[in-house]
This record gives sequence, C-alpha cells and structure tokens, in this order.
Amino acid sequence: MPQITYIDSDGNKHQVELPLGATIMEGAVQNDIKGIIAECGGSCMCATCHCYIGEEYLDKLPEMEEEEDEMLEGAVAPRTERSRLGCQVRISNALDGLVVEIPQEQ
Amino acid sequence: METITEQKFKFNPYSPIMDADPFPFYKTLRDQYPCFWSNDVNMWILSRHDDIKRAGVEWQTFSSSQGNLVDELPGRSGSTLGTTDPPRHDRLRKLIQSAFAKNNLMHLMDPTKELVTEVLDRVLEMGSFDFVQDFSSQITVGTLFAMMGLPDEDHHEVRRNVILSIQSDQETRQKGPEHIAGFKFLTNYVEDIVRQRRADPKDDLISRLILAEIDGDKLEEAEIIMTSATIILAGVESLSSFLSMMAYNMATFPDARRRIAADVSLMPKAIEETLRFNTSAQRFKRVLTKDLEMHGQQMKKGDFVMLCYGSANRDERFFRNPDVYDLERNTRGHLGFGGGVHLCLGNMFARMITTIAMGEFFTRIPEYYMSVEELDWNPSTTFRSPVKLPLTIGK
Repeated sequence: MPQITYIDSDGNKHQVELPLGATIMEGAVQNDIKGIIAECGGSCMCATCHCYIGEEYLDKLPEMEEEEDEMLEGAVAPRTERSRLGCQVRISNALDGLVVEIPQEQ
Repeated sequence: METITEQKFKFNPYSPIMDADPFPFYKTLRDQYPCFWSNDVNMWILSRHDDIKRAGVEWQTFSSSQGNLVDELPGRSGSTLGTTDPPRHDRLRKLIQSAFAKNNLMHLMDPTKELVTEVLDRVLEMGSFDFVQDFSSQITVGTLFAMMGLPDEDHHEVRRNVILSIQSDQETRQKGPEHIAGFKFLTNYVEDIVRQRRADPKDDLISRLILAEIDGDKLEEAEIIMTSATIILAGVESLSSFLSMMAYNMATFPDARRRIAADVSLMPKAIEETLRFNTSAQRFKRVLTKDLEMHGQQMKKGDFVMLCYGSANRDERFFRNPDVYDLERNTRGHLGFGGGVHLCLGNMFARMITTIAMGEFFTRIPEYYMSVEELDWNPSTTFRSPVKLPLTIGK
C-alpha cells in the first residue's frame, strides 16, 4: 500500500499506509491526524480538509475540478499552487511517498 | 414475555417533555431502537452517529427534496438550499457561498464588536435580564441584517415572526395558522426587498441572487425569496438559539465558564463543545428515494426519515462520556452543523459571531446564574431553545 507522510497542524510527522482509492482526507481522519476537520464529510462543501501537497507530486494528482477550485477560494489558510482539498484526492501507486502538509487553520 | 401493562416506547417530538430534554429519549433510541418508526410524527427516526453521518453524505438515498424541517413551511421545498438535492443544490449554493466564507466575513468583525459592547452596556445596567430578548436576539438580528444589507428598523417585527415560523402546534401536531402567518410575513418582507433591489441593485446577498444565472437562466422567483427568507430564519433564530444554549450551558457548568472568562482564547473549543452538547439544530428530515433496510427495519421509498443530530452528538459509540461537557474533548466529527452536502451554510458566520459575542459576554459577566428553576422551551420539532433565559449577574 502507498505510504503517505502527513505533517500535521502542530508540525508533527506521521507516516501511514493508505489503501488505493482512499482520499487524503479519509486517511487523515481515520488516523486521527491533527488539523483536518472534514466537516462536510467529503462532500466538497466546506474546505476544512485543505492541505498543501509536496511539490514533486503535484503533477501526479488527479486534475482539479471546478467545484474544488471554487471551494479552495474559501479556504482559511492562504491558497498556494500546492493547495488541494484532501477529500478530492484519491491515493494511487503514483502517490507513494507523498508528503502532505496540513495548515494551522481551517 | 410481554405483560399487558407494558408500555411501548414512544418518540413524540411535539411533546413539551421532548422540548425540555430530548436526551433520555435519544439514548433509548440509540440503544434499543436505532431505526424506529414513530407514529407520533410518521417517520423513521435515526439516532446513531454513523447512521446519521451516512445519511448526510448519501443524498441520493436520503433526499432533501420533500423538505428538511420536520414540520415544513409552505413554499420552501424545492426552493431553498436545504430542500434541494444536487446537482441544482450545488449550483445554487455556489452562487452565494463565497459570501459566507470566513475570509469574506472579516468586515463584520468590528461592527459586531461595537454592537456587542452596546448591548452588553445595557444588560449590565439591568442586572437581571432575559438573555434571549435582551442579548442574543439583538446580536443576531443586528449582525444578520448587516450581512444581508437589510435596513435597521425592521428588527422587532422580523424577529417576532421568525420565532413563530420555527414553532409548531403541540396539540394539532403541525404548523398552526399563526406559524404559517409568521412565515408569510417573512416572505412578504423579502418580496418587498427583492422589488427594491431589482430596481436598484446593491452589493448584497439578495441583489446577487436576483442577478445570478445558472446555465444562462435567472433563478426562479421562489428560489430567490425562499432562500433569502431561510437565511434570515437561520441567521436570526438558529444563531440566537445557539447563543442562548451556550449561555445556558455556562450557567449549568460554571467551572467551564470561569475558565473561559479567565482565558477567552478557549472560546473556539467551547463553541465546538456546545455545538456537540447542545446544538440548537436538533432534528431535520429526509425522504427515501428507494427501499432501504437498516437495523432490521424495512424502510420504503417515500418514507420520511428524521436525522437526530442532537442524538448523534451524544452517541457513546463515537464520543466517550458524551454527556459530560468537556472543553478538552476532541470534537471533530460532531454534527452540530449537520454534515454532508447541506452542511450549514452559515457555519463560519455563526462561529465568528459567537466567538465575539460570547467571548465579550463571559469576559464582562464572568459570574451569573439562572434566575428561574425551570425554563420554558420553544415548541419546535426541529430546533431546541428556551423561550426566555432569565439570568442575574453576580454569584
């Protein structure tokens, strides 16, 4: 299973194995990673699973749809080119080794 | 063996006992009847966290199209965010959700602080007061009106009619004529504003709805009016109720209150824990789009299902020691704002107003107590809040 490293909102690192098809948000919630709230439960309706993707993996992610793009505008922490909503990114083998940073505020 | 005197469990959301304290009923539901047909309200009742969370996310099965208030108001279903399913729901929500994003609400902070200070100055002079009338409703009407660009002088009448709109008749078990009339007042009020804004658009929410288009078409008139009326309902009443529930919690748990009074940076934790412990938005409904079996019960397409968020938040299967008010608890996963695609649109607005209003309240009034033994609770099948919350300042 692909290994993902979360850097939580306190700056602590957590390495987890995630099954293919799980989302970054689900992985964070199920492993109790601090800083991902996921208030809408993965419906792309709250932007509280906002995270920053490791530079080298940006082009390996599924493309961002319009809904995610619009919701990201409402994210509390600054939006950068590395910003994604965790609930919209599914784990694939190409993402093995991915590092995800979680902002301090959602 | 059943005895002839055995009482069957009833779940009656019209009962004043339920208004006052639904939690023992919720516990029986969760433990013994996790999918329960209530003859008193003619719907299935879901009470466990994971079932309710699932229902919020699986909108295809648990549809909002036939209404989401347990007792619906005429004209709303299909014309508001909460009573429309995706994909139309998502398109409609997209039109206005940026107005409710945290970063876009910052301009309300200073005016809110000023309003809170002004209202608190008055309250402090009173000594004994009704938190609902003298504090929370003043704050929510003031801030919601500022947010929507509505004129100042309409507060009192709007508030009176909003409260009527959320109540039900406990005898007839439905909306009474006065409740319908209350909502009609609101929609008439909104129609007037819509007329004014159509002639002279401003940079506000109602103007945005009037000018908006989905796929090249303007919104239906009903969508503009009902969506705006619902935002007024939610912003004025749900939020005022929530502030009242928080004040009530802090009357009941003075240790928590004193901790906050000493360190107002604890407010966000307190807000989340009150949302979990005592959300004002207790119960909403859905309609099933297909037959479904849950906990051995055969639910049918077309059956209504009640989602008891207030019960989900006290589910010991999800929250340890759920009936303890605990500022240190990890509250992630609470359903105080619902969840799924219909997550409360105003959640960031509510959190912001509450942080300012109650932060200031506890700082300036760290010691207070309830001036009555028992409260009167609003007769509502969806919301839970006291009609009045009489408080006295001091120990």
